[in-house]
Amino acid sequence: MSATFVVIGGGIAGVSCSEMLSFLEPNHRIILVSESSLIKTVTNIQALTKTITNFDVVEKEAQSLAHTHPNVTVILDSVTKINTIDNIIETKSSNILKYKYLCICTGGRPKLITHRLPSKYILGIRDTDSVEDFVEKLSDSTKIVLVGNGGIASEIIYKIRNVEVHWIIKDKHITATFVDPGAATFFQESLNQTTSSSTAKQMRYKEDGPKSGAALGPDWYKNLEIYGALSKSLPDNIKIHYESEIADTSLCGDSSSLHPIKATLSNGVVIDCDLIVSATGVLPHHQFNIEGANLNLSKDGGIVVNQFLQTSIENIYAAGDVCSPNWPYATHWFPMRLWTQARQMGCYVAKSMCANFNKEEILQDFCFEIFTHSTKLFGYKVILLGLYNGQKLGQDYEMLLRMTKGHEYIKFVIQNGKLQGAILIGETDLEEMCENLILNQIDISPYGTDILNPDIDIEDYFD
Amino acid sequence: MVVRSYNDELKYLEKINNYCWRIKIGFQPNMKVEGCFYVNAALEKLMLEELRNACRPGMTGGFLPGVKQIANVAALPGIVGRSIGLPDVHSGYGFAIGNMAAFDVNDPQSIVSPGGVGFDINCGVRLLRTNLWEKDVLPVKEQLAQSLFDHIPVGVGSKGIIPMNARDLDEALEMGMDWSLREGYVWAEDKEHCEEYGRMLNADPATVSMRAKKRGLPQLGTLGAGNHYAEIQVVDEIYDKWAACKMGIEEKGQVCVMIHSGSRGFGHQVATDALVQMEKAMKRYNIETNDRQLACSHINSEEGQNYLKSMAAAANFAWVNRSSMTFLSRQAFAKQFNMSPDDLDMHVIYDVSHNIAKIEEHLVDGKPKTLLVHRKGSTRAFPPGHPLIPVDYQLTGQPVLIGGTMGTCSYVLTGTESGMEQTFGSTCHGAGRALSRAKSRRNLNYTDVLRKLDDMGISIRVASPKLVMEEAPESYKNVTDVVNTCHAAGISNKCIKLRPIAVIKG
Repeated sequence: MSATFVVIGGGIAGVSCSEMLSFLEPNHRIILVSESSLIKTVTNIQALTKTITNFDVVEKEAQSLAHTHPNVTVILDSVTKINTIDNIIETKSSNILKYKYLCICTGGRPKLITHRLPSKYILGIRDTDSVEDFVEKLSDSTKIVLVGNGGIASEIIYKIRNVEVHWIIKDKHITATFVDPGAATFFQESLNQTTSSSTAKQMRYKEDGPKSGAALGPDWYKNLEIYGALSKSLPDNIKIHYESEIADTSLCGDSSSLHPIKATLSNGVVIDCDLIVSATGVLPHHQFNIEGANLNLSKDGGIVVNQFLQTSIENIYAAGDVCSPNWPYATHWFPMRLWTQARQMGCYVAKSMCANFNKEEILQDFCFEIFTHSTKLFGYKVILLGLYNGQKLGQDYEMLLRMTKGHEYIKFVIQNGKLQGAILIGETDLEEMCENLILNQIDISPYGTDILNPDIDIEDYFD
Repeated sequence: MVVRSYNDELKYLEKINNYCWRIKIGFQPNMKVEGCFYVNAALEKLMLEELRNACRPGMTGGFLPGVKQIANVAALPGIVGRSIGLPDVHSGYGFAIGNMAAFDVNDPQSIVSPGGVGFDINCGVRLLRTNLWEKDVLPVKEQLAQSLFDHIPVGVGSKGIIPMNARDLDEALEMGMDWSLREGYVWAEDKEHCEEYGRMLNADPATVSMRAKKRGLPQLGTLGAGNHYAEIQVVDEIYDKWAACKMGIEEKGQVCVMIHSGSRGFGHQVATDALVQMEKAMKRYNIETNDRQLACSHINSEEGQNYLKSMAAAANFAWVNRSSMTFLSRQAFAKQFNMSPDDLDMHVIYDVSHNIAKIEEHLVDGKPKTLLVHRKGSTRAFPPGHPLIPVDYQLTGQPVLIGGTMGTCSYVLTGTESGMEQTFGSTCHGAGRALSRAKSRRNLNYTDVLRKLDDMGISIRVASPKLVMEEAPESYKNVTDVVNTCHAAGISNKCIKLRPIAVIKG
C-alpha cells in the first residue's frame, strides 16, 4: 500500500493531523496507523479567544474517521521499522506502507517510579486503559499513595472518594505544574468540600486485548466517580506530603499489617498502602527501528523538530508529545506536553507538510506566539496565558493579584509595566483582554492596581 | 491632569438642552474646540457620578472618566467642530468609546490617531432579513443556532471561507468584500448595502506587518471561530413603518439575523504597530497631547498614511469576516428550511462600521471641507439624499444598526439632516458601561495567599475596590436609554426594535 501522507499514532496529534490533511488535500490518500482500535477526536471546540480553545476529546471507533474523511484509511497495527531510503514503513503484521511524507505522532508513555514490587501494586495513569484498571483496583483499596503534581494527579485527588489518600508531591504546593502557591491555596479550600456524586458511568467502549491506548483527553474524569472500598468518606482522608518523593517500596510481608505494601518517602516517612498510583508526566514514546538515516533526539528522547515540525529527515515530521520543539521560541511561548499543544501541533504539521508538498511558503501558526491552556481543575475553569508563572523571567517581575474566596483567582505577571502572563481561575471573562494585552505589549503601568479593580469593568476598554 | 474639585469642574460643563451638554474650553488644557455629550436624565446621572468619583482625593491617574477623555480629544491638533460624546460613551484606550472627532485634511497640523479608531478595527454590525416568522423559527431555533457556524464549507469557491495562507490573505486585505464575492460567498447586491461597498480602496497589505498577518490567519482547526457572534432576532416594534418597509421589514414577528464582528487580533496588531510608530513620529514632529494614549501623527506624514492604509486593510478583513458569517447563516437557514437563501429573501439590510476613520465631505461653518472623521464606538448616520448611501435608502436616510450587548434588544435607526449638522452624521453604537460597576459583593482577603507567595521573592500588589459607593447605582448604560437619547436629540430616528431569540457565539 502507498499514500502521499502516512501518519503514525491515533492520539490527538495524529488524528488532528489526519483530519487536517484530509481537509487540505482532499485528492490525496492519507493512511493513519493506530495501535488502538479507538482513536481520539476533538469535539465541542469553543474558541474562547483567538488563541485559547476549549475542547472535549471523545474516543471513537478508528474506522469512523474513514467514514467522515473519505480519503483517510485507518490501519490497526504497530510500526516496527521505518526505511528512510525507500520511504517505507513496516508493521508488526508485516504490512508495508510506502509514503511521500511521514508524520510521527506516537505520543508519550507514563514515567513510572522505579520499583521492586509486583506490577499489580503500582499503576501509571496516562491512558484510558490505565484509568479503567485504576477504577477497578481502587474498589478493593482503602488506602493508596498518589505520586505526581500535575493535572491528572490534581483531578484524581479532587474526584476520589471513600479511600484514604496520601498525596506525595515534590513541590512546596499542590498542582505546581500549573499554578503558583497562591492559587494552590485557593484550590485547597475546594478539596475539603465534597462534590455531589452521581453514579459511575461507562468510560469507554470495550476493546479486546492489551494494547497501548491513546492518551487521556482533557475531560477524562468528567463522568467518573472514583470510589474506594471504605464505606464512607473520612473527613480528612487526604494527606499531602510536601517536598517529598518515594525513596523505596517493598512488600510488607507482615501478616499483621492491614495493607500489602509500604512506601518509604525521601523524608523517612513510611506509609502502608494497597496501591501506589503514579501520575508523574510522560516521556516521548517511539519504539521502531530507523534504517538509512538517524532521527535527532533531544535529551529526554523527544524527536527534535524545527519550526515547521520537520525532523532531521526531510520528509519525516513529528507532532505532539513525541516531539521536542527546537526553534527560537516566541517571547510568550514555550512547549509543554499538553492536549492543547498536541492538537495545535497536529493541525499545524498537516499544513506544514502540505506546504512543502505544494512548494508553498507558510507562516508559522500564531498559536506558537503565546502559550495558552484551558482546563478545569478542582471544579474551576482555569486559563493559563503566556508566561503565567513568570517562566523565563527569573525573579524580575511583579505579580498583581485579585482573589475572591471560592469564586476567582486572578494573577497578572507584569514586567516593565507590561503584561507577560496571567492565570485566570473561575469565570473571570478576562481571557480575551489578557491575550491582547500580552500580545500587544501595551503599557499598563498608568492604571496601577486599578486594572484589576473589581469595581471597574474593563472588558471592552481595549477594543 | 488638572486637579480641581468636583464643583469647580462643573463650572466648565453647561447643559444646553435636555439632551446635550457643552464642555467648555479650559476643562482640560489646550482645548482647540469645545466638547459636548448627549445624555438623558438617567445617563446624565451616570456621567456626572463618574466625574465626581474621579475628583475624590487619591483618585487621580488610572482610568480617566469619559468626559475628560472627550475634552482631551478636543485638544488634538486640527480638530474641527466639536469633540462629540455619544450617549453610550465610556472610558477606552485614548479616545473614549462613543467619541467622534473630525480633522481638517487640508490643515497640515491635523492628525490621525489609532486610539480614535480603536483596536478592533471596523468592528461592526450586519443585519440580514428573512421572510420567516417567529413561529417558523422558534421550534427549530436550537438546531439553527447549532448549525450556524459549526460546519466548515469544503468545495465551495476555490479557497476556504476565510483566507488560509499568506497569499489569499493579501488578496483579501486588498479586496475586502470583492474577495468574498469572487470566491462565491456573497451576492453582488450585498455590497450595495455596505458602507464603502465593503472595500476600502486605499488598503495596502504591504503596510501591514508580518506579525499582524500571522495573527489574522485563522487558528488552525477552528477556522475563524472566535470571531463570531450572531443573533437570531425577531422584529419587536416598528416605529417608522415606511422606512422599515424600504428595508423589507413588514410586520412584528419577522425574523432577522444580526452579525456582530470585526477584525479582532489582526486589527489589534495593526493598531499596536501604528501606536509604536506614532510615539516616535510625535517626537519628530513635536506633537503634544494631553494623554500618552492619544499617540498620533499628521495625516499626511508617512506614519499617518501608513496607518490609514493598514487600517483600511484591517477594515477589508472585517468585511470578509462578516461576509463569511453571512454565507454560513444563509447556508444554515437554507438547510433547515429546505429553501434557497434567495427564496428566504435573506438580503443584507445594511452593514455598518463603528470603529473606523474615513475621509468625508462636510459643511463646517457653512463651508464645504474635506475631513478625516474618527468614529470610535460611533456609527455613521447619513441623512436622506446623501450621495454615499444606496439608492434604496435615498429617501429614508442611511440605516444605522445598533447591537445591544448579547441577549438584550437591538435597534435599527435612520440618519437625519439634523445629525449631519450636529454630529457630522454620527450616532451611537450600542450599550455602554459606566466606569464604576461593581459586579458583585466581593470578599477580598489575601492573607493566606500572600503568605504562601511570599517565599517566591517576587514583589506582589493586590487589587482592591477603592470606592465605597454611597449607593450602588445601576451603572450600565442601557441600550434603550442610549437609542432614545439619540432619537430625542435628533441625531438619528428610531425605526425598528429587535429582540433576540437565540445567541450564537463562535
